[in-house]
Amino acid sequence: MTTLTKESEGSAPSAGGAFLSVQDLRVQFTTEDGVVKAVDGLSFDVERGKTLGIVGESGSGKSVTNLTVLGLHNQMFTNVEGSISLDGEELIGAPERKLEKLRGNKMAMIFQDPLTALSPFYTVGRQIAEPYRKHMGVSKRAAHERAVDMLDKVGIPNPKLRANDYPHQFSGGMRQRAMIAMALVCNPDLLIADEPTTALDVTVQAQILDLIRNLQDEFGSAIVFITHDLGVIANVADDILVMYAGRAVERGTTREVLRKPQHPYTWGLLSSMPRLSSDVNVPLTPIKGTPPSLLSPPPGCPFHPRCGFVGDVGGAACRTDRPALPEGRGAACHLSAGQKQDIFIEQIKPRLG
Amino acid sequence: MLRFLIRRTIGALIILLILSAVCFFLFFAIPRDPARISCGEKCTPENLELIRRSLGLDDPVPVQYWNFLAGIFSGRSYPTGDCPAPCLGRSFVHDENVLTLIQDRFPTTLSLTIGAAIVFLVFGVGAGMIAAWRRGTALDKFVSGSSLVIGSLQIYFIGPLVLWALVYSTGLFGDPTYNPFTENPWKWAVGLILPWAVLSTIFASNYTRMVRSTMIEQLQEEHVRTAKAKGMSSGTVFFRYAWRGALIPVVTIFGIDLGSLLGGAIITEFTFSLPGLGNLSIASVFRADLPVLMGVLLFSSTMIILMNVIVDAAYAFIDPRIRLS
Amino acid sequence: MRIRGARRSHAVVAGLAAGALALSGCSSGSENTDSQQDDKKKAAEQQAQIPFGDAKASTGPAPEVKGAQEGGTIPVMQRDSYAHLDPGQIYVSDEGALARLIHRGLTGYKADFKGKQTLVGDLATDSGKPSDGGRTWTYTLKDNIKWADGTDITSKDVRHTFERQFAEFINDGPVYIQQWLSNEPGTGYRDMLPKGPYGGDHLPDSVLETPDDKTIVFKFKEPKPDLPYALAMPGYSMVSEAKDTQEKYDKDPMTAGPYKIESFKTGKSMTLVKNEHWDPATDSSRNAYPDKYEITFNIQFETSAERLMADKGVNKNSISFTNNVDAATLPKLNKDPDAQKRSVNGYQPYVAQMAINMDRVKNKKVREAIAYALPIQPYQQAFGGPQGMELAGGLISPTVSGYEEGFDPFGKLKKPLGDPAAAKKILEEAGETGYKLTWGYINTPEGQNYSPTMESTLEEAGFDVQRKEISAETYYDEIGVVDNEFDMYVSAWGADWPSASTVVPPLYDGRQIQDGSSNYSHTNDKHINSEIDRIQKIADPAEAAKEWNKLSQYVVEDLISNIPMTYYKQIQLYGSNIGGVQYDDVIGDIDLRKIYLKQ
Repeated sequence: MTTLTKESEGSAPSAGGAFLSVQDLRVQFTTEDGVVKAVDGLSFDVERGKTLGIVGESGSGKSVTNLTVLGLHNQMFTNVEGSISLDGEELIGAPERKLEKLRGNKMAMIFQDPLTALSPFYTVGRQIAEPYRKHMGVSKRAAHERAVDMLDKVGIPNPKLRANDYPHQFSGGMRQRAMIAMALVCNPDLLIADEPTTALDVTVQAQILDLIRNLQDEFGSAIVFITHDLGVIANVADDILVMYAGRAVERGTTREVLRKPQHPYTWGLLSSMPRLSSDVNVPLTPIKGTPPSLLSPPPGCPFHPRCGFVGDVGGAACRTDRPALPEGRGAACHLSAGQKQDIFIEQIKPRLG
Repeated sequence: MLRFLIRRTIGALIILLILSAVCFFLFFAIPRDPARISCGEKCTPENLELIRRSLGLDDPVPVQYWNFLAGIFSGRSYPTGDCPAPCLGRSFVHDENVLTLIQDRFPTTLSLTIGAAIVFLVFGVGAGMIAAWRRGTALDKFVSGSSLVIGSLQIYFIGPLVLWALVYSTGLFGDPTYNPFTENPWKWAVGLILPWAVLSTIFASNYTRMVRSTMIEQLQEEHVRTAKAKGMSSGTVFFRYAWRGALIPVVTIFGIDLGSLLGGAIITEFTFSLPGLGNLSIASVFRADLPVLMGVLLFSSTMIILMNVIVDAAYAFIDPRIRLS
Repeated sequence: MRIRGARRSHAVVAGLAAGALALSGCSSGSENTDSQQDDKKKAAEQQAQIPFGDAKASTGPAPEVKGAQEGGTIPVMQRDSYAHLDPGQIYVSDEGALARLIHRGLTGYKADFKGKQTLVGDLATDSGKPSDGGRTWTYTLKDNIKWADGTDITSKDVRHTFERQFAEFINDGPVYIQQWLSNEPGTGYRDMLPKGPYGGDHLPDSVLETPDDKTIVFKFKEPKPDLPYALAMPGYSMVSEAKDTQEKYDKDPMTAGPYKIESFKTGKSMTLVKNEHWDPATDSSRNAYPDKYEITFNIQFETSAERLMADKGVNKNSISFTNNVDAATLPKLNKDPDAQKRSVNGYQPYVAQMAINMDRVKNKKVREAIAYALPIQPYQQAFGGPQGMELAGGLISPTVSGYEEGFDPFGKLKKPLGDPAAAKKILEEAGETGYKLTWGYINTPEGQNYSPTMESTLEEAGFDVQRKEISAETYYDEIGVVDNEFDMYVSAWGADWPSASTVVPPLYDGRQIQDGSSNYSHTNDKHINSEIDRIQKIADPAEAAKEWNKLSQYVVEDLISNIPMTYYKQIQLYGSNIGGVQYDDVIGDIDLRKIYLKQ
């Protein structure tokens, strides 16, 4: 799996030997109303054994990005540009047959709502066994045994029996475990978890996060963890990418982003998140306004209509120029590095308590 | 399953009982006197009385209804002949037991239904799946467009058109007829091919549109996407995951269609002069032949209810959520 | 006697005016296409009386049809299944046409190759020997006449046939002879033999005498000059005493005609095969060339017309006994000269007339204005135009003796769209302008078609017309109520045999007015009533015919209670392999006795 195939040799080499490298990804949907720029020039890398957390409001393009990585977007209405390379292999424009071989095998995905994401018509065991059988070419029985093993591994009691159950016979947490078992059945090198814990209650959430972490330790997979919940991400991610309106607006290690966030949007996200330690008298500060329409995103910095610091920048830069996201640690904002630090320390941090 | 069947059977019997009572009393509520119609043109009050008595119409309506119900279990005796149990009555117009008439006509209707159902399932569902598979392509547009056009046609329009084009003016086909399958399967098929084609054309387009839209819907279901995400081939995703979900509406509509067709495809039978239950009921309406009307009504209701039970059983087979709850 | 609803409306045909056995006298068969002029010529011929044939005319076999071939199977397309096979129950034309092939009566009609009809003995040696001024009629059975099972037909069967007509279960057939034998109007005849012959009772010899196996003597209180006609009705065909199963006979009768029923699936099909015990030498009117008839029911008029026009495959061999070409298909036929060659056209015995309710419209001037104003052409158009109907001047049909061409007192033939101007003047003179005229019209497609046009012309003449629709099924019931709420309504009536004695008395005898009677105009005129009594006693049919006609003209011209509108006609088609086809005005359909299959 680490051998580069011949055709991918010519493709752009991934920066720093990253396992998954997304470069300048642009995803556009054609709709009746016009072209939606769901992802607009996004770049990120994930290394083996590392977890990248992607945060952002719904509609920020985080899910689209990851569906595009797996090639699950609707190809008829979607235009994809840029580069996605997995272990050196270019995925954009790759034939469907090749993607089929990679999906579920080298890259797998855990979906948000296991009730709708699992087929109601087939047993859990069968759904887990199916990709294993296909990718490993083993017998039905061997695949079933593997499915039972996986159910055991994700902590389903009495897995032999439960493998023959249908998803609706499982509880929510068990279903998500089954989902994880299904995603991991072929020991994928890349695991994309799209809000895997959102639909679960808090105690189950913690168990699932533990499970994912443990499995990563065991298999050394690269994980892309999508969430809008910064609390969750603090627990699992090594690096964080903050997305807004189809673009990355801030990037850094988890520690950097959570302790010293640089982008007004990230500040907004953090301010709107309740904390156990926070003073109940300090009100939460939601981000004003609504996410912009991706059909006609605002000119300049897409966040400027909601940003409280446009005045600090001076001039019309926020309205006219799109701020770039620097390589490595940084934020796509016109505020100077000093301003960012000052504002965070003086205005934002007190609110976070 | 057994309990399910028993429960459904009891329910069905109650429905049939209510239905027959409503039909019976409605018939006598409308200003139409079967005796008067039998009596003909030179009717005298005395003759009318005679006919009333011979048809059993001189009893109060509830008594007549009771006799009807009793006849189902114990049979009845008429001056023109016996009607053994289960007796659904005897025609006012013809000297024939209603059940005999129905038994005589049902093979035609059954043949028409089965043949048409096979054709419209194969072509209708097939075209719908092709359209969904190739969604957005010229092929899809062609299939969807033509199914819309065909679906807006009516049997009473294309039936005579087909007859004119293929039978009367060119003689490519013979007149549609019914020959029993058991006597000569070839003649059976040849005689019914045009009615099948016309009847199934109308139905097929419904199935095409329905299958196309439900398949497209199903293909967007999250669990179908999951199947794709775990590396299943497009064929597997399409036929195993999406199709399974699309089966429920297809089976539902198919059950309803089959049930109502088995009660008599009235317009088709009329257009092609086929001696099925549909033609029988038309003739009975015109002649106010209550026993035959009642019989056909009960028979077709039974068919619809039966198909409903089968559809429900099929749901359980298709969807484990229904099976296990 | 019979009334006629909207003939081509399914509902009515199936219900009230079910098809119709048209026993009407006339002598025209029209082969192939016909023109208006042809019709007139034939109509003139039809004034002649159908003569009573002697023993020679009644002796078989029937003259050979030129070029006829024996054998073959003819597929037959029929719309309605047969409700009755028991002769005693047969009245309507569908069953009447069938009866000619399977049943035999004492008398029957024989047609020559020009369609001229003679009333001859069928099972009897001649048309009957009257004595005692027409009060006693003697019939002798032919030799070698047999039932389909090979047993002889004897006078016992004849006696049984008439006695069972008195039983209660016989309630759909004709009642003339029962009424004549008992000398009772209405259904009072049943008291004479309440259980028919089944209780062991029989008609006394003073009424019906069968002195030996071959002889039957009918004895009536009054002269019955029309008896041979009445006996020719299919309803008086013979029933086998030995095989009589009473009610069940209707399903499985013993037959004596050239064909017997091999199978009958109600509403589906019927197969007729040759009866080997039928001896052509005993039958002067039936040729019976084909071996087999295969009848299929449920074939609508449109369908049989289309199939026969197309003349493809098996339809080349096909006919329909009684399906005619419906009004909607007529224009198509007119554009198809090839199909026209395979059509026959002729009269049916019905006369459509506007009956004015004499109890309500008492002012003769108003009735006269209606007579002038009423347009009759819309009615004809609604029923297919000149091929479906002919405009009528009088109340006596061209198929009935006594018909007089050219009688047209209100100029309706010259102005078929009505003469509202003349009517307006009459109304004004009478001071009745704006007269409120309530018209009950039948709710059929045809009724919806003609009534608005007719209404507007009447309005033009100064009437305030209130059109009220009446359901087709109950139409004749509603206009048959004496105390009804309508000022006028259309009725159609056909003679049972070619004598106006089955037309004038039932329609215009004021003493018969009661609910359900056929005197729809409630005509009650002293002159008419007394004339009816007088004419009924005239023994000479030709003389009687003249008198009936005069009386019917009095109704139109002097009383103005009924306005003649149209005479019914029809067109039938047949396949190109069918030969020997001619129209039979007696039955009002194709003459089935002479047809053959070209092979």
